[in-house]
Amino acid sequence: MKKYLLLSLFTLSLLVSNSLLAQSPSDEILMKKYELCVAVTYDLGEWNQYWEGTYLRGNENIGVLTRNMVMPMVAAGITDKLNVLIATPYVKTKSTGGQLAGVEGFQDISIALKYEILKKEIGKGKLALLGTAAFATPMSNYLSDYMPYSLGLGTNEITLRAIVHYQLDKGMYARVAGAHLWRGQTEVERDYYYNNGSYYSTFMDVPNAWNYQATIGTWLFNYALRLEANYTALKSTSGDDIRAYNAPQPTNKMEMTSVGFFAQYYFKKKIKGLGVLGYYNQVIDGRNIGKSTNLGIGATYQFKVKNSQ
Amino acid sequence: MKKYTIALLTFFASAALITSCENDLPTRANFSSYEFSGLDEHGGTWKPVLLSAPTQIVIAAPADVTSSGYQAELASLKSATANLSGSQVEAVEYWTNNPIIRWNEIALELAAKYNLIPGPNADGTYTLPNSANPAGPPPFPFAHPPYTCRMLAYLSVAQFDGLISAWHYKYAFNRPATYATDSSIPFAYAKNNLPSYPSEGAVVAVVSRDILTAMFPLEKDFLAAKAEEHLSSLTWSGSNVASDIEAGKIIGTEVKKIALARAAGDGMKNAQTPKAKSDSIKAAAFARFGWSWDNQENPQRPVGLTPLFGKVKMWNVPTVEEVRPGIPPAPGSPAFEKDAQELRDFAKNLTVEQRRIANWWSDGLSTYTPPGHWNRLAKDFMIKYEMNPLRSARTFAYMNMAIMDAGISCWDTKYYYHYPRPIQTMPGFKTILGTPNFPAYSSGHSTFSAAAAEVLSYIFPNEATFCRDWAREAADSRIYGGIHYRFDADNGIDQGKKVAQYTVNKAKVDNAD
Repeated sequence: MKKYLLLSLFTLSLLVSNSLLAQSPSDEILMKKYELCVAVTYDLGEWNQYWEGTYLRGNENIGVLTRNMVMPMVAAGITDKLNVLIATPYVKTKSTGGQLAGVEGFQDISIALKYEILKKEIGKGKLALLGTAAFATPMSNYLSDYMPYSLGLGTNEITLRAIVHYQLDKGMYARVAGAHLWRGQTEVERDYYYNNGSYYSTFMDVPNAWNYQATIGTWLFNYALRLEANYTALKSTSGDDIRAYNAPQPTNKMEMTSVGFFAQYYFKKKIKGLGVLGYYNQVIDGRNIGKSTNLGIGATYQFKVKNSQ
Repeated sequence: MKKYTIALLTFFASAALITSCENDLPTRANFSSYEFSGLDEHGGTWKPVLLSAPTQIVIAAPADVTSSGYQAELASLKSATANLSGSQVEAVEYWTNNPIIRWNEIALELAAKYNLIPGPNADGTYTLPNSANPAGPPPFPFAHPPYTCRMLAYLSVAQFDGLISAWHYKYAFNRPATYATDSSIPFAYAKNNLPSYPSEGAVVAVVSRDILTAMFPLEKDFLAAKAEEHLSSLTWSGSNVASDIEAGKIIGTEVKKIALARAAGDGMKNAQTPKAKSDSIKAAAFARFGWSWDNQENPQRPVGLTPLFGKVKMWNVPTVEEVRPGIPPAPGSPAFEKDAQELRDFAKNLTVEQRRIANWWSDGLSTYTPPGHWNRLAKDFMIKYEMNPLRSARTFAYMNMAIMDAGISCWDTKYYYHYPRPIQTMPGFKTILGTPNFPAYSSGHSTFSAAAAEVLSYIFPNEATFCRDWAREAADSRIYGGIHYRFDADNGIDQGKKVAQYTVNKAKVDNAD
């Protein structure tokens, strides 16, 4: 399987309408030393309802909020066990209702290191334990305090993630991942705001968060096609609720759970190294977040820069 | 492998460093008690706003400092100031010797808390806050700019009149400061020998609590607790004996009655009109000028914000008509097109600095509004110039009267001309700020800000350039935001200046200069 190296998708980041999550690889796949993968994915996220605190509502002055995202990414094998991944999404937002202008631009750049801590045969399959560490920071001076249109949360973010992956030799697999997201402050363009009380500052605290993901999937056609279903949860550890009929702000306590499907296909013989992918995700529950549906497509191309000995 | 470990550690160390550079986020003005630049010993001769004279409120002469009664009060103060708990010390430090600043800050926080516009009901109708049923939903009040400017004006005027009366009696009776009579009293603030009877702090605590409770009825308990802590801090800080505080409470209670009586009859209760009245105001404007404003929200709000706020009783301007600006250019006219084109150009090519200005002065929902923004700026000057509570109250009183007069004048103009907003005259036009629920001309931000800047320029002449530049920036911010034409902003600035002149003229002859 390792010879069909591919790029993992940052599905998680795409799920969330505000791109809350840095682009953190959350799968088990690693590239070998001197292998490089370039990828681009396009994501269309839409919602027409959002949770104001825990109350799910519509708002005709937003109508349907659309978030288009194109994300180029590069991944490289530093060793067989250590990969580096860099990605920076370009985001464009707009809404069908109301008069507020959408925005577009590069959001954050994230750099992630993924390391295989352990891999061993257990029963009729292999167990892998991986860890990823990621750092993300805004690429431009976009305004985070322009929600729900803003490109992102406008803050530095460190993510530490643990991944456990068990795969049967027949190709079926299950994976769980858990991560903590440390988020800093975001600079806004006003020096007073209300967050369950007055704040006299141009900075807002963006709450830290936990993120969990459970996945089951299988490889088919001699490892050419991969299909999976996933369940994702995000929970901020603090923060306030969106106030009644008011705009969200980066201090909000965001939570969501979503379910999704993902498929990836590799043209193993015809065009060596090329893969395509597609996915669909639906937020099913949340707090201070849009009830987003996301559809994504992407292409990956993988090649060796140099032969390892 | 080792070098990767090092690389990994370096990566984390730098990432952790970047993320941990977090600022402490202040939740209030960062200042501690200070030595006043002057005591205004003749403050009792200043002309009050609502009182006919400081002696309109009567308090009894205090017992002599040599009396056994006073000596007992002093002994009790001494024991209360010994061994303060941590929270008592905190309270003394929080309230400082200029509690005017803290109460203004509390008022601004409540404005922000209640500045939420009611959303539509499931059937597309809107329910407005109702003072007869403050709990709602929606809760009362909706602390929009007209509501907030009026709240701040009554708060500041009542504090000012109360303190003029207090200063009159302080120097009429001349009861020495507690620590002057007994040097072993540990006074928490800078000694200044301000006579202690009646307690100026108690006047401010009571008047502020009661005016704010009238304005924010759901905050009754919160405000009572704040006032209680403030009153206790007068003891804990060694500032006042019990009879000082009781006399201050009498003044506070009397002056708040007078202020709230004016508020009850100033016309505010009619400002938010029924739809029929609102429609007739709109029809009158259309008959006069051939245009009218419509709310562009979905579902459409049937009535704009406070159509009759322009009829509310002004503080210092005899008639609202005399400060009403002239007719704006008709939609479609060359003058209009020029300013409309400017908005399209800004929307297309807004600079980072222009965006920052638009957001900096936005002061929209869930904030303390533009009047609150100017109160916050004024507060910073009071601290910088080390004003005593009386002079601080005077500054707020004149500034907030001018701001409220500016608001009344602006609202008169808005509903007289009923001028459509850019999103109405330019279909498909997108903005970076939300368009408020009232007509465009003239700009509220510009009018409020120019009025505030004029009063502050009079009181802090060294800051006049800053203040007027800020007002201009606040006016421009609405153009950058796409929600006002330049003619709204420019005329609003002129209007605000003109309105404020009446207040400044009054301030110049109140004996304080």
